[in-house]
Amino acid sequence: MMVWAVIIGMGVLVFLNRYVFLEPRLPLRLSSNARQFLGFAVPGMLTAICGPIVFMPEKQLNLQWDNPYLLSSLVAVGLVIWTRSTLISMLLSMGFFFLLRWWL
Amino acid sequence: MSNSHLPRSAFLRGAAAIMPLSLATAPWGLLAGSMAIEANLTPLQGQGLSSIVFAGAAQLVAIGMLKGGAGVFSILLTTLLLTSQHLLYGMSMRSVISPLPGRWRVGLGFLLTDELFALTSQHDKQQFNRWYALGVGLTFYIAWNLFTLAGIVLGSSIPGLEHLGLDFSIAATFIALITPVVRNVPTVVCVAVSLFCSVLFSYWQWGSALVLSGLAGMAAGFICNKLYLERT
Repeated sequence: MMVWAVIIGMGVLVFLNRYVFLEPRLPLRLSSNARQFLGFAVPGMLTAICGPIVFMPEKQLNLQWDNPYLLSSLVAVGLVIWTRSTLISMLLSMGFFFLLRWWL
Repeated sequence: MSNSHLPRSAFLRGAAAIMPLSLATAPWGLLAGSMAIEANLTPLQGQGLSSIVFAGAAQLVAIGMLKGGAGVFSILLTTLLLTSQHLLYGMSMRSVISPLPGRWRVGLGFLLTDELFALTSQHDKQQFNRWYALGVGLTFYIAWNLFTLAGIVLGSSIPGLEHLGLDFSIAATFIALITPVVRNVPTVVCVAVSLFCSVLFSYWQWGSALVLSGLAGMAAGFICNKLYLERT
């Protein structure tokens, strides 16, 4: 029962997070500064999600070359710049990552 | 009006645009499904997380906390902090989604993920198409739930799936989304600050590390942009 309470509670909270500013009755007008600030949401937020995954696998800070997450991320960045294709970069960098994990 | 604005073709364009990201989310979805089983949730509960909550990072953390015996309140508080970037997405999409009828607002609101935001955030009022957004969101929702299902099925048969490093798929996906956006100095500053803070705050084990470091990066980019514009 407790698990279902957690699931439903989480569902409600996440939906509220997503919906609250889409509600037109909420009185809010965004200034041009606020809009400029929000323009950085994609790089800012997505980077923040990646950071701990890449630099802290298993919750431990690892800046060594034997960290496959770090190496593969560098490869992924290189692939995006080089191929300009989202799909190819994702597939090849994941392939590289799993090879590296298997090899190390 | 061009053909591409018809509901059906806009929906299909959206579905096609999100397809690479949907496929790339497979390992992450497998992880969400198999970890739920590993933590002794029933298959229905594991699927319920993906179909009701629909937020990968929060799901994985919640499963970990359930396994560790955390209380309902602390799990919900962590969820709130961990998914608060969606407040910013909502704020940013407000001008295009809030004028829509209620069922569209609720529907697109429910489907508003990192990925949907990344694909539609640059659209202004003229470019934004609700059917395109629905195609993106719904396709991603279905893919996420199918991969979770696969994880639930596999998780019961392959133990130790969570040690394979499946979480790299989310990093690979987001790197592919971020890198093309980094085209000027303010964005470079934004990404650098966000990256540094996210590692530092996670190292300090702050519950709200994600949203705080994201905000720090956005603020740095914004300030840099102001200084940049004043100079030129």
